[in-house]
Amino acid sequence: MAVLFPEGAAQRTTVQRASNEIYDVVIVGGGVAGAIIAKQLSQQGKHVLIVESGLGEDITLASYEGYVNDYFGTAMKDNQSPYPRNPNSPMPRSTDARKITPGIPDTTGYLVQNGPFCTDTTYTRVLGGTTMHWEGKTPRLLPDDFTLRSSFGVSEDWPLPYSEIEHYYQIAECEMGVSAEVADQTYLGVTFPEGYVYPMHGLPLSYLDQQVDKGIRGSTVRIGEERFTLEVRPYPQARNGIPNKAYRYPQTHNSPNKVYMERQGYVPVGAVSTSQVELGERCQGNNNCVPICPVQAKYHAGKTLAQALQSGKVELLAQTVASKVHINPENGYVTHIEVKTYNDSNSPEYTASAVHGKVFVLAANAVENPRLMLASGLGGSSGLMGRNFMDHAYLLCWALMPQICGTMRGTNCTGGIVGLRNGQFRSKQAAFSVDIHNDGWGWAVGSPASDLLSLVDSQNKFGRDLRRGLIDQISRQLLLAFMIEMLPDPSNRVSVDPSYTDRLGNMKPVISYHIPEYTMRGAAYARRFAQLVFQRLGAADCTQYDPSDYGFVAYEGQGYVIRGGNHLAGTHIMGTSKSSSVVDVNQRSWDHQNLYLVGGGSMPSIGTANVTLTIAALCFRTAEAILKELN
Amino acid sequence: MLPTEITTIDKLYDYLFAAMQLEHATIPPYLTALYSIHPGTNSDAAHILRVVVVEEMLHLTLAANIFNAVGGQPTLIDEEFVPSYPTYLPDGEKDFMVSLQRFSLGAIEIFLKIERPAKAPDENSRLIKQPTAGRSFINRVLRHRGIDAQYYSIGEFYAEIGRGLDYLAETLGPEKLYTGDRAKQANSEYYYSGGGELFEVTDHDSAKAAIDLISGQGEGLDGGIYDKEGELAHFYRFQQLICEQYYKPGDLPGEPTGPPLSVDWTAAYPIEQDSRVEHYKDSPELYNAAVAFNRAYADFLKTLTTAFNGQPQLLLDAVPQMFQLRGKITQLINNPIPGKEGLNAAPTFEVAPFLKEMQK
Repeated sequence: MAVLFPEGAAQRTTVQRASNEIYDVVIVGGGVAGAIIAKQLSQQGKHVLIVESGLGEDITLASYEGYVNDYFGTAMKDNQSPYPRNPNSPMPRSTDARKITPGIPDTTGYLVQNGPFCTDTTYTRVLGGTTMHWEGKTPRLLPDDFTLRSSFGVSEDWPLPYSEIEHYYQIAECEMGVSAEVADQTYLGVTFPEGYVYPMHGLPLSYLDQQVDKGIRGSTVRIGEERFTLEVRPYPQARNGIPNKAYRYPQTHNSPNKVYMERQGYVPVGAVSTSQVELGERCQGNNNCVPICPVQAKYHAGKTLAQALQSGKVELLAQTVASKVHINPENGYVTHIEVKTYNDSNSPEYTASAVHGKVFVLAANAVENPRLMLASGLGGSSGLMGRNFMDHAYLLCWALMPQICGTMRGTNCTGGIVGLRNGQFRSKQAAFSVDIHNDGWGWAVGSPASDLLSLVDSQNKFGRDLRRGLIDQISRQLLLAFMIEMLPDPSNRVSVDPSYTDRLGNMKPVISYHIPEYTMRGAAYARRFAQLVFQRLGAADCTQYDPSDYGFVAYEGQGYVIRGGNHLAGTHIMGTSKSSSVVDVNQRSWDHQNLYLVGGGSMPSIGTANVTLTIAALCFRTAEAILKELN
Repeated sequence: MLPTEITTIDKLYDYLFAAMQLEHATIPPYLTALYSIHPGTNSDAAHILRVVVVEEMLHLTLAANIFNAVGGQPTLIDEEFVPSYPTYLPDGEKDFMVSLQRFSLGAIEIFLKIERPAKAPDENSRLIKQPTAGRSFINRVLRHRGIDAQYYSIGEFYAEIGRGLDYLAETLGPEKLYTGDRAKQANSEYYYSGGGELFEVTDHDSAKAAIDLISGQGEGLDGGIYDKEGELAHFYRFQQLICEQYYKPGDLPGEPTGPPLSVDWTAAYPIEQDSRVEHYKDSPELYNAAVAFNRAYADFLKTLTTAFNGQPQLLLDAVPQMFQLRGKITQLINNPIPGKEGLNAAPTFEVAPFLKEMQK
């Protein structure tokens, strides 16, 4: 099914119009969180304004393909490479990461990094947000991830259990179009209601996945008293596959086309454009999911945004950066948000104005939300605004398989080893899930470009030898990416400092970050685990960690390189009281009754699941709460 | 009940076979035009051509579903299945020629002729009875099966099939007509997306709906520019390129009011029109590549035939085959023909010798 982006919608609303209106809801941020809330509210007749800092262009096929072509043409294929530099709405880029000298903040990039650990984490400030570069994996959190304190004596429990969010996971899986089989995803306590099926059938495991599975299936590892059996399982993914005929749209979800509510079977949502196109309704295996799917088979928030805009009740003010939240000091209510609207990304000129609403939602992500609040002087009564900054710590281990495995056939990741996502060991060390990377050693060392350079420049190969060498080298690459849990630690934080501002005069985020020992213990185990797996596969371990790497961390006499996962969380943590948390169970601010801080920042734990599905589920829940309040 | 030439099931099979050939016949010209576009240019035109091709394949699959539903055995590997280009297609009193050629204004104008809705002015003109040279594609195909008939337009040809289904359902009874094994039906699980939903044909209503969809998307006889499923008819999709503007729902024919689109008619490779592998005799590499494509295309038709005869899941296998066909086509189109200055090679679709081999 094609999704029409209403022509001109990105330009229709002017600053003058927006500042004269009192909206039902003002949403800061046009990413997945903002788009979902806008869609849900507008379909119930609410008048919504979305303020987006990125460029204000309609999502047309031509503009999207422009991003794809920019990506193809760029020499450095980092995860932000399709998106142009915009000093008025700057974003962190992994190419900005530098090793931090203790005591000297690194101000090279957009994020000011105090360290001691330098993160290369990124997020994307364009319409559609970070779903414009995400990989698209959508595992659910495990039930035990919600009860870390009661189950393992570490961290805190969520203020709601898995069972209360399960229904919203279903709605999120519908909205994003997830391909998976319930049988594959029922493990480690995850449950589904009787008869539930995912919208689309699971994407097949790659040949590489199958070779790894063959080598490890049935073998076990032991941590403490527990034994874990190893196998490769498929991951659920938000990209279009074979629609499941038995699928039923969830009851409370407003499906994009009412016709399908009565019919059984999922209708894949394809590319977005201003005119009818037929594209992206099934994944082709292009394998550049990160950063950009050439055909839009992968979900991006533009698909939800387009539907929200179709309602006629959503207005979009793009090229508009929120700069200050104003409150009524007597009751703490937000009265308005000051914004700066720029015409041209090449010029620092802007128009200052204010946007008004009955309810305000900050959906700008776990770094930008607290940044804005702190820059507005609204640290809150808990003192936790910006604190407990979490991101998954990634440890990469790579090897050369003894046989050709067809590496480089997409999607980026179809399967992994997930049996160690839970266990009693979590009372002492971090759990992890292991991604098998279908794009080989790309993330670790820059394959396949690095292989080409090595074969040509160092080994002087050409012609048939070069072709053979490339096949031999690249098609046997196995990269295991360990996604390691991080617990909230108040000293990991996002703050602001007036000495660091961007071109529009907004304070930049200042990150203070170290990798907690709990996580490093998990990383150390992960390294040994990888060695074990490579042994069982007969693969040659090629992992190397360079002490001069910006992500180098020494732990118990060993060195590791930790990479950021872009799964940002914790900075406006959810909890049961205003002294120990920033938002309540509906993501509403304790201190400001008409303000919601939504997104990863609300999550009290990230477990070993990529955060987007959970963010989406929480936002569907929050939309219900906002509707109740408005009615 | 309206009069019809289709009075027996065997005649129905012949007409359905002709329908499948007809739906397929436009795919080589559309694909050739599509892949002749310079990469990185003409994004709008490329998407329009591509979606039309995908929809033709949908029609082909639906026709196979109807064929299976009435107990027939669809085949795409009959020696005559792929025409020799240029080939004639019907257009009222006068036929016109369709070639394999590069993307150009002329090519799009021919495509418009192919897709133009043309309803016969009256009942008597539907079926052209006067003796003709028998050049029309439909006429040739039907003659190959022993039927001598020529239709005013493609739309009238499909209307005839609809009449035939009505007649046979009425005279034989639906249970004697729709005897096909349901397991042979292709549905949207295996069919790779695009333009209208594929559905199983199991009874008279679904058979009529299938004929409606096939003729509605290409050739709407009722004048609306969007069909029942909300899909823009092919004629109007192509017309957008001439108008350099997109249609949107509510627009009148000929007056699109959607976003503008841009076309660069010069940004296409100068491929030889209606090329033949024998033109490459003096360049062995080019000759081999051209022959390899023809063989691969024959294999693709074989995969589809097997899929349509009880193994619909093979439609999934057809997808990587299509990507490989694209690779072979672009390889030919990128190569100049030695000795023919200014002309590039092209896929020739001379598959008959390979199809003949498959019969043995």
